[in-house]
Amino acid sequence: MTGSRAESAMDNRSQPSNPGARQAEDSLVSITDLSLVYTAHGMTPVHALDKINLDVTQGGFVSLIGPSGCGKSTLLRILGDLLSPTEGGIRIGESSPRQSRLNRQIGFVFQEAALLEWRRIGENVALPLELRGVSRAQREKKADELISLVGLDGFKEKWPRQLSGGMRQRAAIARALSTSPRILLLDEPFGALDQITRDRLNMELARIHEVTGVTVVLVTHSIREAVLLSDRIVVMTPRPGRISCIMDVDLPRPRSLETRNDQQFEHLVRLGSKELERGYGSV
Amino acid sequence: MEVSSLVYRLTAPNGPVDQAWPPVVVFLIIVTAWEGAIRAFDIPVYVLPAPGDIYLAFVNNPGSLLWNAGVTLFEAVAGFVIGSLLGAVLGTIFAYSKILARGVLPYIIAANTIPVVAIAPIIIIWFGHGMSSKIAVTAFLSFFPLALNMMKGLQSYDRTIMDVFHISAATGWQRFFKMRLPGAIPYVFVGLKLNVTFSVIGAIVAEFVQADKGLGFVIMTAYRTLAMPRLWAAMLMSALLGILFFLIVAWIERSFARWHVSEQDNP
Repeated sequence: MTGSRAESAMDNRSQPSNPGARQAEDSLVSITDLSLVYTAHGMTPVHALDKINLDVTQGGFVSLIGPSGCGKSTLLRILGDLLSPTEGGIRIGESSPRQSRLNRQIGFVFQEAALLEWRRIGENVALPLELRGVSRAQREKKADELISLVGLDGFKEKWPRQLSGGMRQRAAIARALSTSPRILLLDEPFGALDQITRDRLNMELARIHEVTGVTVVLVTHSIREAVLLSDRIVVMTPRPGRISCIMDVDLPRPRSLETRNDQQFEHLVRLGSKELERGYGSV
Repeated sequence: MEVSSLVYRLTAPNGPVDQAWPPVVVFLIIVTAWEGAIRAFDIPVYVLPAPGDIYLAFVNNPGSLLWNAGVTLFEAVAGFVIGSLLGAVLGTIFAYSKILARGVLPYIIAANTIPVVAIAPIIIIWFGHGMSSKIAVTAFLSFFPLALNMMKGLQSYDRTIMDVFHISAATGWQRFFKMRLPGAIPYVFVGLKLNVTFSVIGAIVAEFVQADKGLGFVIMTAYRTLAMPRLWAAMLMSALLGILFFLIVAWIERSFARWHVSEQDNP
């Protein structure tokens, strides 16, 4: 365990000077030796994240997976500048997460849609643009585009409570994409949905990723969802939160629900599950 | 055609007629039984005036009663507006400053337990014998409900929505006006509706203590001269005042909070 961590850390450190490191050229996110320690009054410190090293390629689709408490959501929240690390470096393009957030280059989708109930769907989708001071005409135009991108045509004038859970989550995705962010962060966005809705939204997400070319980091509990959507899967283990392995998914794109019938798909799911179970084993 | 569509709307299921007939029937039964009991048992008018007597007391001198009701309504509305505004401001300050809320709130709650009849004489001495002292008593009463509900409402925002605003790099003002205040609207109206009731009580109680006009004054004068029908007419008038005021605020709420949960039936 310690050995593999040391290796990956060394990999990252040697990257800038290593001409063979082709990944560094087109990587959007680079995370180096990132740690987050919670110190509460009178408690032993909790290592939520311990020396994480990870690169995310420009336009890539990376999934973070692992048992509860492995720090996958914490890592995502650090990327979105909702949390600050105790130690280590993190860059999104040329900027820190904070600068990226202030430049509206981050889109974030949470487990709940978190729509404002007193605004119609169109106004919810355009909220980040409104907060940025974009004119009404431009907001309308962008909202129309996004609503049709996420498949909510005809729902622009509806109230959030008139939408099903899946549709609310579509609206949340549209809202996250409204400022045309460089990176889209999703924290178990489909966890509360039924299986059929979840499958459909997975395919929508794959399509949106392909159409917009946005870089995606997805936190999920489901290895099947991770294999179906991602280029790379980051498997994490808890206490302390560490990366136990990174799997490359070389399934062809565009993906569809038929991808699940692929031999390679099943193979990767088995491999990932085995890796995941090791994390659960220590629980 | 137009008349029949109006009739159709009035008589629709859950329409005005459908909603109104049970209380109307109960009203007629009560009035009939009341009038009948007074005639049957020969109850003297100073114990209980007949509905007919009360009606006559109102019709014989409608101008005076309406004018005094207008005075009370003005005091109630003015006190309601001033008290609600102060309550909203203080509630907002409390929502934003935990320290201030912790330090000041216990005393506010303690002040709230003072009976209005005990504080009214003091306020009248401070503000004089005119309408301003009645308005001040009313404002004192209709201050707490909104302050407390405003604070609760502003604190009730969803943490994930706060994260959404953070990700969008929203300013503090944007958070207040686009998230916390709209989210507090249902609470605000709970406070305002309580204030409506309290403001009518406040105005009339202040008039009891000292006044030369208003429904409280009419009630006290009728009480001293044992003019029972007029006393009853003034009492019913004050109830009507409260109901009217309440309906206006409820109507504003409906047009304000179309999205609110209690309005789910009519999207």
